[in-house]
Amino acid sequence: MLDMIIGTVTQGLIYALLSYGIYITYKILDFPDLTVDGSFPLGAAVTAVFLVKGFDPYLTLLIAMAAGALAGLATGLIHVRLKVRDLLAGIITMTALFSINLQIGGSNLSVERGIDTIFTAPPTMLLFGSMPLMYRKLIVAFILALIFKLLLDAYLKTKSGMLLRAVGDNSALVTSLAKDNGRVKILGLVLANALVALAGAIVCQEQRSFSATMGTGQMIFGLATVIIGTTLFRKLDFVKGTTAVVIGSILYKACIQIAIIAGLPANLLKLVTAVLFLIILVLGGMKGKVKQSA
Amino acid sequence: MKKFVAIILAVVLCLSVCACGAKEASVPVIGICQYGEHGSLDNCREGFIQGLKDAGLVEGTDFVIDYQNASFDDNINNQIAQSFAAKDVALMCAIATPSAVVCYAAAEEKDIPVIYTAISDPEQAKLTSGNITGTSDKLPVDAQLELIRAIQPDAKTIGIVYTTSEANSISTIAEYKDKAPNYGFTIEAIGVTAGAEVTQAVDTLISKKVDCLNNLTDNNVVGVLSSVLEKTNAAGIPVYGSEIEQVKLGCVASAGIDYVELGKMTGEMAAKILKGEATADSMPYKSVTDFSYYVNSAALNEMGLTLPSSIADTAIEAN
Repeated sequence: MLDMIIGTVTQGLIYALLSYGIYITYKILDFPDLTVDGSFPLGAAVTAVFLVKGFDPYLTLLIAMAAGALAGLATGLIHVRLKVRDLLAGIITMTALFSINLQIGGSNLSVERGIDTIFTAPPTMLLFGSMPLMYRKLIVAFILALIFKLLLDAYLKTKSGMLLRAVGDNSALVTSLAKDNGRVKILGLVLANALVALAGAIVCQEQRSFSATMGTGQMIFGLATVIIGTTLFRKLDFVKGTTAVVIGSILYKACIQIAIIAGLPANLLKLVTAVLFLIILVLGGMKGKVKQSA
Repeated sequence: MKKFVAIILAVVLCLSVCACGAKEASVPVIGICQYGEHGSLDNCREGFIQGLKDAGLVEGTDFVIDYQNASFDDNINNQIAQSFAAKDVALMCAIATPSAVVCYAAAEEKDIPVIYTAISDPEQAKLTSGNITGTSDKLPVDAQLELIRAIQPDAKTIGIVYTTSEANSISTIAEYKDKAPNYGFTIEAIGVTAGAEVTQAVDTLISKKVDCLNNLTDNNVVGVLSSVLEKTNAAGIPVYGSEIEQVKLGCVASAGIDYVELGKMTGEMAAKILKGEATADSMPYKSVTDFSYYVNSAALNEMGLTLPSSIADTAIEAN
């Protein structure tokens, strides 16, 4: 049973990186970014291809982030420069990425057991080599989630980060500061999609495979984790938004796990997951007793 | 950062408390991870359990089944595989390629044997070495081309719609293009990305005046088969299926394999592993070489086609 909890928390921590990305676009920038369904598998595709070619697994994470950043840049440019509506700009990039991902990785690509991943490569083995793989996965996922949380928290306190928050809250203010609103949005999308692609890259290494359809529903997943996390901790000021979405991500994965353990009929799995979310949200809302201001 | 660590620990503790009370079974558990709800895949699963019983194992005393279905969702699919590994099942049975790939990855550490079924191309999916084996549902392409030639002696072009993200379709379409000239056919293939594009692709093929359409085991295309048939029936173009379930829906005929038999074969292999007679490592994967002709007489009549007697003798009426 302990194994199962470790597995679930590991999944939650890995997917937290995706949630960070959506936290930036949805919560901070107020931008519904559908690029995610394309940039997540993009990160996985790039990673799978480079791993198979024998690249260092840690290096592939950076390459995947760069690819994700480009995807975000595309959506940003389409939205800001070509003046396409936010939702549509994301849909355009996501649609294009589906074909691009197929070109990169084919319909599916497996990474054989002989190939090292971030969970089995030298630096990780040097530090945590004595532990079983399951614990190593947990620790690596935890470290990555923590590093990027701290980086993101630190970034949001910089001038650039402040502007990012200002664009979402009060774009007129940004304009009055003689700053280019559009440029800030593009930056936010670039950062967000780099994180999303990073999540895709880690998932690819963890399950040793890429599949062209693995992006389906990731945007919805990310939104749910952000909303669950921020709703639960709405009243607790000392919990940062980034921490809240990590919890949201773990809880989401736990909900699915519970539904699986309960042995429900397959077709009911999603319905049950939905009900569990609703319960979390309602409980979180009651505890906070706050006015509606999501 | 301290708070972050503290909160994560708190969540882990809460989950641990929730999780207490589940008891461990002493009978070996077989975790079945099926990628989605689908007639042929269901047949595989039923065949698999039957195969275990045929090999002399008794459900409840020799094995118990933990059956999970991912509803074609890659995230859930992976989580099912992870939970099987966490539960330390004795054996994982993966039905369809995406499930086999994630089960094999999840089974890595504990080296749990994985047995798969309904995979068109185990070589391509890199599932041929290691503690894994199973059965392939590679389509009998030659038999299907022969069947089409027999029913439509004058046909020249075969139209095929396939989904570019489905691994099974990619490998099968290549085989069709390779073998069609041997039977005097050319293949008009159109790749699509989503279910909504299938009927548009069918319209294009009809306007190109193909002599017939042929289906693969493409989940996306088969999912909208009824609307495809509506268009082809109006245009008077026969559609050939790739398995019995499609013929039942209105395809004229198919040279297909029996998925229940495929599952039984898989179950017998699994039984050998459970009994300790063989390891997944030592058994190469198997494909079924037997196939049957399935026909739908009503659909054939509607198209004005007749079955040559050589096929009619052995054909099974699917309707």
